[in-house]
Amino acid sequence: MIEVLGVHKSFGATEVLRGVSLEVAAGEVVVVLGPSGSGKSTLLRTINHLEKVDRGFISIDGALVGYRRSGRRLYELKEREVLRQRAQIGFVFQNFNLFPHLTALQNVVEAPLAHGRARDEIHAEGRALLARVGLADKEDAYPRQLSGGQQQRVAIARALATRPKVVLFDEPTSALDPELVGEVLDVLRDLARSGTTMVVVTHEVGFAREVADRVVFLDGGVVVEEGPPAQVLDHPVHERTRAFLSKVL
Amino acid sequence: MSSALAPPSTKDRSDDLAALSVVPARHPWRWVGVAVVLVLVAQFVHGLVTNPGWDWPTFARYFTAESVLRAVGTTIVLTVLGTVLGFALGIAVALLRLSRSPFLQGVGWTYVWAFRSIPLIVQLLFWFNISYLYQRLSVGIPFGPELYSFETVQLISPMGAAVLGLALHQAAYAAEIVRSGVISVEPGQLEAAAALGIPRSRQLRRIVLPQAMRAILPNAANEVISLFKGTSVVSVMAIGELFYQVQVIYGRNARVVALLMVATVWYIVLTTLLSIGQHHVERYFARGARR
Repeated sequence: MIEVLGVHKSFGATEVLRGVSLEVAAGEVVVVLGPSGSGKSTLLRTINHLEKVDRGFISIDGALVGYRRSGRRLYELKEREVLRQRAQIGFVFQNFNLFPHLTALQNVVEAPLAHGRARDEIHAEGRALLARVGLADKEDAYPRQLSGGQQQRVAIARALATRPKVVLFDEPTSALDPELVGEVLDVLRDLARSGTTMVVVTHEVGFAREVADRVVFLDGGVVVEEGPPAQVLDHPVHERTRAFLSKVL
Repeated sequence: MSSALAPPSTKDRSDDLAALSVVPARHPWRWVGVAVVLVLVAQFVHGLVTNPGWDWPTFARYFTAESVLRAVGTTIVLTVLGTVLGFALGIAVALLRLSRSPFLQGVGWTYVWAFRSIPLIVQLLFWFNISYLYQRLSVGIPFGPELYSFETVQLISPMGAAVLGLALHQAAYAAEIVRSGVISVEPGQLEAAAALGIPRSRQLRRIVLPQAMRAILPNAANEVISLFKGTSVVSVMAIGELFYQVQVIYGRNARVVALLMVATVWYIVLTTLLSIGQHHVERYFARGARR
């Protein structure tokens, strides 16, 4: 489904990703753990081409992200084509990034409307998505009238509205008050159970243990260790994984 | 200070705090200020009413005179055309400056640089006198045949020159105001729109501009109001707008003060209307910002 191959990315002199490779199968839930500055968010952002990679390749369902191959050459995609590709990849931000001048429902239906499907169908689907994240009664609320947890749930509904093949979550609970984390994790858990392909960057080790099919530990811009949660979280092989887990557990 | 913090005496402690009456803090200097201002206002009003120099009967005669009303109309037309054309062009120039193409950025920057550098009055006189430079304007292929041609004087009337000058001048300022609004929108908004795959033109129309409007509007209202009064500059081109018209009238009857007051009061009335309009438009774009 997702294939990340030897990806390098630098910001100025700092090399944030130093050859990361990762595969995610359809329906799989992968949780990426790692200390801050390890490149987790950057990795996620390269997958939907919010950041261009310096070296390496990323493909989704066999199609290269951001490039088109023709013979021995790779052509950089035009912005319009990149945008079309992105509709297949849902992205949930740490800070929600809801559109503050639009209501919850308008936030959810904005992207599908832009892609030009029938209006009634989109609105019905948008309401169903809000109901799915437990916010059926909030469709006319503006983001500022919602709590952090509710905003993030709207953002998840919005990410699902384009019917993406995979949803990427960039620390979805890090900006939330502790008592609001649970409601967002419940939604994630529900998505995982329904077979959505997900890559989740998080600090919630408990969530990783319970929901992840696979845990990937990233440090210093490389994948240090990966495997089933029981193995990586309870019997880490690497010293760096152990050091990290001892701090967060 | 310490006495206020010290525990109350046994007798006070028996009092129920809730039963005590509260004495609000007094602000004697505010009342002094109010008194001073009232005296000054009274003196000013007294002067307006009793000084025959203001010549209110003449003011009353001309305030709604037909020639003055027509001039007010011209001023409004100049303002509306200057605003609409100026902001339309200004948005285009702002988009050039915000474009990712260095060439287009350069074009936008140059426009703003050029039209902010030339004083409005100089520019207006240039347009007014454009037929000295080019007697005929023609559409054709450079170095090749001429397809159409016009007499410049016919194409650009004094009113046309005024609108052209005001709009081009206004566009340079409008461009910077629009640009300031757009860059005030949080980058995460664009990122979210990009992540959703919303096409760029729609991002601009649905996500960026509605949010930018909040920052654009107060500045834009300033510009419209200053353009509205700035139309008095076109009096140098003998166009019958408000300021020109009162000059013509006091040139004939020498009632300078009364006629200047006619113009002043009209400017105040119309600016007030614009300010009220601004208030309502701002409220519309603040939706979502209030709880």
